[in-house]
Amino acid sequence: MALTRSAGRRPATWRRGRRVRGVAAAALVALPVGVGVVYMTLGALGMVGPGSAGNGASPARIARVLGERAVWEGTLWSLWVAAASTALATLGAAAVAVAYRGTRPLDRAGRTLSLLPLAVPHLAAAVGALLVLGQSGLLARVALRLGWIAGPAQMPALVLDPWGWGLILALTWKELPFLALVASSVLATHGTALEETARGLGAGPWAVLLRVTWPTLWRGMLPAAVAVFTFVAGSYEAAALLAPSDPLALPLLTWERHTDAALTRRGDAYVLGLLAVALAALAVAAHEWLAARGRRSGA
Amino acid sequence: MALLTSPRRRGPRARLLLAALLVAPSACAPGAGGDPLDAARLAELPWDSVVERARGSRVVWRMWRGDPAINAYVDGWVAPRLRDRFDITLVAVEGRGPELVNQLVVEREAGARGGSDLVWINGETFHNLRSEDLLQGPWAGTLPQAAGVDSASAIVARDFEQDPAGFESPWGRVQFALIYDPERTPDPPTTVAALTDWIRSHPGRFTHDQSFTGMTFLKTVMYALGGGVAPLQGGFRESDYQRASGALFAWLDSVTPHFWRGGSAYPGDVAALHRLFANGEVDFSMSHNQNEAATKARQGILPPNARALVLRDGTIANAHYLGIPFNAPNPAGAMVVADFLLSPEAQFQKARPDVWGDGPVLAPERLPAPWPERFRALESDPRAVPGDTLRAYAVPEVAPGYHERLAEEWRRRVRGAGG
Repeated sequence: MALTRSAGRRPATWRRGRRVRGVAAAALVALPVGVGVVYMTLGALGMVGPGSAGNGASPARIARVLGERAVWEGTLWSLWVAAASTALATLGAAAVAVAYRGTRPLDRAGRTLSLLPLAVPHLAAAVGALLVLGQSGLLARVALRLGWIAGPAQMPALVLDPWGWGLILALTWKELPFLALVASSVLATHGTALEETARGLGAGPWAVLLRVTWPTLWRGMLPAAVAVFTFVAGSYEAAALLAPSDPLALPLLTWERHTDAALTRRGDAYVLGLLAVALAALAVAAHEWLAARGRRSGA
Repeated sequence: MALLTSPRRRGPRARLLLAALLVAPSACAPGAGGDPLDAARLAELPWDSVVERARGSRVVWRMWRGDPAINAYVDGWVAPRLRDRFDITLVAVEGRGPELVNQLVVEREAGARGGSDLVWINGETFHNLRSEDLLQGPWAGTLPQAAGVDSASAIVARDFEQDPAGFESPWGRVQFALIYDPERTPDPPTTVAALTDWIRSHPGRFTHDQSFTGMTFLKTVMYALGGGVAPLQGGFRESDYQRASGALFAWLDSVTPHFWRGGSAYPGDVAALHRLFANGEVDFSMSHNQNEAATKARQGILPPNARALVLRDGTIANAHYLGIPFNAPNPAGAMVVADFLLSPEAQFQKARPDVWGDGPVLAPERLPAPWPERFRALESDPRAVPGDTLRAYAVPEVAPGYHERLAEEWRRRVRGAGG
């Protein structure tokens, strides 16, 4: 009994201590980001870093960089690629989770195969996309052999292309298994009982899928989808191989400025870094809003 | 010594703390000996005592590590000899020019001891390092092997028109070249005018990359269209830049629609351009190093028949150098390594097409036998551009300001970036 009482009702000081320890652990995780944000802010104001004028804080650099059309074109392009990749990967992951949710060997094989890209580094995935989708890649060579095209120039541009289709496909392929893992877990823990209840009340297969399975999946996958979105929007290595030169994706533009031949332009990267952090923060805020809305509608 | 003890700019304590947090890993790098004498003071000592100070030490060399041939030369040929002869442990780590400038700026803000002893630099990197007082010196002129340097060559003696002033030691010399495949292009253009006609008559088969090599190609065209290099020499002048770049951008406006993908996309770097060339998407690649066609063909990166050609209007030749950062913990070791790299045997090994193919900075006539003959024999490689041709059409770099302005304006006008 004593054991049960202490587990069920901890002293107030212990609960307070646990909260403090939790906040301290979170602060430790956030510390590198916080230090980076503070340093980037000082750099954006021209107080530290390469090309800093040494004349104190000035918002001139921030105003100049945020006034560039290329910055906003690159930002919108990165957001487009992130949104498209995340949406496709989320839909694909949901399909995998629903299609292979059973315990038959075929289901297990389907789940296992869909998880294989997890082991492939992003850079390797991008190189693979280049070798398959490039205008002189595997698909182009097959098309050439079949007589569909007469040379590389006739192959549709899927890498370094203005819409980033090759990059979107590569990132979708790479992120799908992570989301599929989450989706399968969500279905296993929350889906089955609700679906059976719906079927018991007379709902047909499509009604169960659209009214029960998908909402359950969506709510459970939302945090992972937001994580994928923010990661893709800020990832560099795949974009460096597959993204076009115009518009230049935000991570590539940031690196280009960071290594600009002119020392005075390198500080621009701090402004762009802060912009990327702000976009990630907005994505997290959007997630919190959607989650709260979901809780309200669920209640 | 002042450089070692008094950072050029001191900021508030909070800034230093933040910077210290960011650079802590490099500041704590093992092997940072912390020689109390900087390179300028060491240069005043007898060379034997510099070698004695370096013996048994560790030298961290920050350099571009993107080419397996260069890495094999440094790790497999240079490092063992330094260990055998001087008991020096050479550790080559990644760090391109712009990145190492940024790293050193942050280290200075933190007051941190340096993480590298030697850096591979030239051009605008040297300009940035000197303007920020991030290099030790002068020291390079006192190296024993410096006596063999081809100091009469404007290419070696001036780094993008800058006087090295003993703050960097020459290491290699290269010349810009276009790369083509004689089987695909049996009669390649050899002038900018002929190249223009070729691009127009072969739509989609030519492009350049967005990085340093592509900008050097554009500078080559800028020289050719603007009456050569002479009008641009003598430091950066905005009026001269405007005149020369005006002709270049007019040329680009006329040929860009005939570029690969109509000029709507450009390969990110020269490695990507090599890939397009090797896969038959374009008919030309390019390189800063006239011997890269042969070395990359040997590595299987370029077609086996790839050849280099230099444009008769002149192609840009430049040298690359080694510097010692202001906070290098082991400047004596760095000086011994730089001296060894200048030796005839190290320069010859580096120049062999089957090793790296990087041009030597030594004057053969200043070297003892058998080195003059051995260096001349290198030029007889049938795959290499003849030495006479290289020298006849070599033009020097101009002040870094031209490169900076050209890169910025190209991005803005052609690619739409840069506001």
